[in-house]
Amino acid sequence: MTIRNQPVRPLTAARTWVALALLAGPAALAGTPINERKAADPTGHVEVSNTAGSVEVTGWARGEIEVTGELGDGVERLEFSQSGKLTRIKVIMPNRSSRVESTDLVVKVPAGSSLFVNTVSADVRAQGVRGSQRLQSVSGDIGTEAAAEDVECKTVSGDVVVNGTGHRGLLNVTTVSGDATVSRVSGEVNGNTVSGNFTITAGATGRSRLRSTSGDLGLKGKLDADARIDFESISGDVRLDLAGPVGAEFEVSSFNGEIRNCFGPKPVRTSEYAPGTELRFREGQGTGRVRIKTLNGDISICNK
Amino acid sequence: MTADSKPRTAQARGLDAGLDALPRGIEPERDLWPSIEARLEPRGERAGRRWFWPAAAAVLLVAGSSLVTAVLLHRDEPLVARQQSANGPVSYAAAAFGPGQTLDPTYAAAREELARTLSARIDRLPPGARRKLEQNLAELRRASAEINAALELSPGDPLLEELLLSTYQEELAVLASVNQLTGGNGAGPIDATRMQL
Repeated sequence: MTIRNQPVRPLTAARTWVALALLAGPAALAGTPINERKAADPTGHVEVSNTAGSVEVTGWARGEIEVTGELGDGVERLEFSQSGKLTRIKVIMPNRSSRVESTDLVVKVPAGSSLFVNTVSADVRAQGVRGSQRLQSVSGDIGTEAAAEDVECKTVSGDVVVNGTGHRGLLNVTTVSGDATVSRVSGEVNGNTVSGNFTITAGATGRSRLRSTSGDLGLKGKLDADARIDFESISGDVRLDLAGPVGAEFEVSSFNGEIRNCFGPKPVRTSEYAPGTELRFREGQGTGRVRIKTLNGDISICNK
Repeated sequence: MTADSKPRTAQARGLDAGLDALPRGIEPERDLWPSIEARLEPRGERAGRRWFWPAAAAVLLVAGSSLVTAVLLHRDEPLVARQQSANGPVSYAAAAFGPGQTLDPTYAAAREELARTLSARIDRLPPGARRKLEQNLAELRRASAEINAALELSPGDPLLEELLLSTYQEELAVLASVNQLTGGNGAGPIDATRMQL
């Protein structure tokens, strides 16, 4: 039997490379799994930063921080460092790279931690964190729970959703074009947006100051007995759907917008010669105060 | 004296006599003052209004100066993306406080400096976010222009003055927020061309 050495045909070589690529491909495209943990102060401060992808932070009862998830292909590394009570989790990007995949971080922190999260396009989700929170993103969405400590959410174009836990706290939300929805927050809510819509729902609202340029502002729910509501918009509409007994003094004015009031009193013109209407009335005991001002936006006040 | 001066003198004397015969005053049919007074602002409000614009300018001056300081302090931080925008720097219309009201020059200079510095920061944003930001800054400028136009028609309207002041404050707050989000975000260098927004 004669065995001849045959040259490797080009087609065979190509098949070999395709087979190797198929075997190695899924691992390469899937990014690098993350699984790290460190002991942490139960009331420490945790800083997380990521560029694209997602950041999910959960408060738990353990005295340690766990980071899992997946590091995007092309990312330089994950920094997970500690200095005293401060823990820093940071996705380090390469100085120069043509392509970097998004990174998903799942972080568990002691529930009493205070939290700072900063992203560019990565979405941010936090739950069960009882310390103060400062969450900001350029274009990612932000969702969190507000406990008794201060919460601040800031985005350019991302949407913000904050759910309260019944505790009174201070919530500050700032967006440029993103919408904001705040539910069951009973403390103080301050909101600023340019074109986003801002809605507060289903809470016993104490103090709230919302301001928009063209976005609509809305409040659905109860007013505290000593509520202080201050809404202001240029061209966005303002709508109040108040639940339960209402005891407040209302001071409402608009330069060009229409004022609609389900409580009875009608708006009056502020001048015989120029646009502008205002509505002042007291409902119930009148210990609360509601103040609404718009330039062109319509105003609606109703009791649901 | 000319020939025709005599007849004119006689005519003048006749006019003088007629004027002397007129009553020295005319009493209005009814007392108009109460209705005039009702249309005037209360003295307290007028006195308070005199303080409004200086106070407004002071508030904006403090806010503007603080923001400029914050911006300058972060000026040397690494850029998120050094890609220069094809659109050029963001432009800011000169701010005004309604007709006949000029801004404090110190405030105007601070605002200009803030705008110049933040133009570079806006370039660091991913294109999609930058586009939205520019649209919204334009929205703020439209709003302030519209309120200024309304103030031309209704000078001194307290609602318009309040809305205008808070629109300027909002513009500064937005610029400060963008500065914070792009300057000290700690997310490391980001190439905007790789961002999917």
